[in-house]
Amino acid sequence: MSGSSTSDQDRKRKRAMIVFQIVIYSWILGTFLVQLYLKSISDW
Amino acid sequence: MTTLTKSAGFGGYDAHQIASQAAQRRADYWMISGTLLMGCAVLGLIGLPLFFRGIWLQSQAAKAGLTMRPTIVTLIGYLVIIDSALNSIGWTLDLFAHHTLINRVLTTGWGAMFDGGYFWHYNELWLGGAGAPGEKAWEISLIPVLFCARMAAAIGLLQMKRWGQQWLIVTCWMGMIVWFGYNTNMTIFADVRYSHITFPVWGWWLYDIWYITPFLSLPYLHTVNREIFSD
Repeated sequence: MSGSSTSDQDRKRKRAMIVFQIVIYSWILGTFLVQLYLKSISDW
Repeated sequence: MTTLTKSAGFGGYDAHQIASQAAQRRADYWMISGTLLMGCAVLGLIGLPLFFRGIWLQSQAAKAGLTMRPTIVTLIGYLVIIDSALNSIGWTLDLFAHHTLINRVLTTGWGAMFDGGYFWHYNELWLGGAGAPGEKAWEISLIPVLFCARMAAAIGLLQMKRWGQQWLIVTCWMGMIVWFGYNTNMTIFADVRYSHITFPVWGWWLYDIWYITPFLSLPYLHTVNREIFSD
């Protein structure tokens, strides 16, 4: 495997990892927003 | 890593290594003591200055030219140990000591303020403790599987072992799955968790956001030069 293709693969892996992390943190943030919405419509 | 430039000549390298190890050990004694106290939750305020003293000793030794553990590794390692200890102590008390007076006061008090899951039907299930749907399953599965493994991984990382770095990556991803699931559970059973408590929603988030953020270390763990960790 050539050096350039390895680094290209590495870059793709890193990008995929960052995207995956963003998805997970977005979900966690989403749960917070849903909870705030539920709070606004309930008598908690 | 910082390297010594002053020592040279015959035996210089060995002397440098011995001095570096001694300085690292001295700093670690302070940081371990601080971490043990902070991991007990209530003694956290006593542990924090001890921990900072260790950090200061480590940075002074590095400035003096000794080879010390990278600061980022030190912070991630000890943060993970404290995170695992705090989660384990709280949940272990809820699991095994739910009928003690101190737990009935502190845990339900916490529940009444931040998380109704620790107040609602407390000690009414056959197992006792928190009665929130799913909570007991999280406790039983995560204390032995996640937090024990995470603590071992963090110790390995602090010892600059390759397996420590690898296992911290594994347990960080496990932690992401856990928070993904736990927060979903909190949202689905929001009526149980947040109904008629003192600080609904934002109180829990303000307290727990610090437990969620350690996974931000994943990009570092994935991209750090693995050669700094030994086999």
